[in-house]
Amino acid sequence: MTTEELKNLKTDKVVDARGSACPGPLMATKKAIGEMKSGEIIEVLSSDPGTKRDVPKWAVKKGFEYLGDILEDGYFRLYIKK
Amino acid sequence: MAVVYCEFFHSYLCPQLKTTKLIIMAKKMTIALYTGSFDKLTATGVIINGAVADDMDVEIFVLLMGANAFKKENVGKTDHMAELADKKEEFLASLQQLKIPTWMEYFQQAKEMGNVKIYICGLAGKVWNGLTLGDFNELADDICGIAEYVASAQTADVNLFI
Repeated sequence: MTTEELKNLKTDKVVDARGSACPGPLMATKKAIGEMKSGEIIEVLSSDPGTKRDVPKWAVKKGFEYLGDILEDGYFRLYIKK
Repeated sequence: MAVVYCEFFHSYLCPQLKTTKLIIMAKKMTIALYTGSFDKLTATGVIINGAVADDMDVEIFVLLMGANAFKKENVGKTDHMAELADKKEEFLASLQQLKIPTWMEYFQQAKEMGNVKIYICGLAGKVWNGLTLGDFNELADDICGIAEYVASAQTADVNLFI
């Protein structure tokens, strides 16, 4: 998805893992996504640079759809569809 | 172990069955945890959290020096058996500044989120005067012998010595 599409996306849950180091954002994402329904979208905020590679790989491996990410000032927004 | 109810198998392959359970074994990581140093234990904590995030079962076999770190009286020691003395202060300060969990917090988190079992080697226990499970912190699940580690490692998908 393009940045513009991601910005207009309606998300069902937001996980703010900024300030948490690896594997904090991944664990927070796993925990949150476990409580979600199939088809719902989660937005993950992370300031950990490893997250940008880690979370997409993990999401695809777990059978979720990785929608993309946006680079903000000092952190990322990542979007996953369960 | 994960159990998946598979509608496809039910309707297509086994129409005579009302429900079909397809049992899929979770992948397994075994760790021979020899170290008792907080730095390597911190790394171990990160690894096992990653394994749990990937839905792996984890079995940790705590060997000689590791068993010392798991003794009850050593709970809360932040710089236990530091491996690189000249880096210890810098490392500890950085961990605190970045609000990195302690190794025990990492282990606790992994146990809460997944299937993580921790076994203390019986010999290692004796070396540090830990003869019963009660001599070790609450992370420990049982005391076992080396045969159990060898048998478990043979069926593991990933086996680490730390």
